[in-house]
Amino acid sequence: MLGLLDHRDVALRAVSAACKLVTARPKQPEWNEFRTHVVSAVGEAFNNIVLHSYAGRSDGLIEMEIHTESQRITVELRDYGESFDLESVAEPDLDQLPESGLGIFIMRAFMSIRYRPGHPNVLTLSKSLSTSEGAP
Amino acid sequence: MTFSISISEAGVIRLSIEGELDAMTVSDLRTEIEKLLMRQIGRVEVDLSMLRMLDSSGVGALVSLYKQVRARGGEVVVLGLRDQPLAIFRLLRLDRVMVGAEVQSTTPATPPKHRNPTS
Repeated sequence: MLGLLDHRDVALRAVSAACKLVTARPKQPEWNEFRTHVVSAVGEAFNNIVLHSYAGRSDGLIEMEIHTESQRITVELRDYGESFDLESVAEPDLDQLPESGLGIFIMRAFMSIRYRPGHPNVLTLSKSLSTSEGAP
Repeated sequence: MTFSISISEAGVIRLSIEGELDAMTVSDLRTEIEKLLMRQIGRVEVDLSMLRMLDSSGVGALVSLYKQVRARGGEVVVLGLRDQPLAIFRLLRLDRVMVGAEVQSTTPATPPKHRNPTS
């Protein structure tokens, strides 16, 4: 899909639907939380690519691959824009009520993430259903 | 996202946001917030009971509103949080700041004076 915010809902609908495949009993409270975390984190990842990797370009591509298995989902996002240094992003001071710089914090809190800069840049987000907190 | 703004006879401003408040839709809300802040501000109630999705961009707009209203001596109370937006509020600890104990005692508002359907 194109790296446009207009296409984000397509990605998130696919991710939300894929969350149903990790368990035979979706709709349980822990599954609702799982899906909320996954959709939130992938949404932030998509934003990051559009707003920072492609930074205003309208012809950038985002490739998304979703892997599901029992109790676990992995979402891989590939882009061909500017790379960024994930480790250099400082954790926000929540007591100061920051208005920006929260996207990567949300991603990290809700899913495990790996980033490999290059061509393409590859961001991999994963989460286990049995892990209610982030960093599964 | 759609949003509406109404003002009660007591001067309480009710901002109701429906749908998705995210990077794509937030600029519409920010524009309206700027207009809102040009008037005298007392209490602002932000009704998020119909909000399905909130991302970090949307959080930025709400926190900005909160800070600016507070700087003018007013208060902001968020109402109706649930599901995904509630998870974001809790993660960012905004529920401790913007969701007050008086959540249930909302003031009836006059019919909407503005409605802005967007995406």
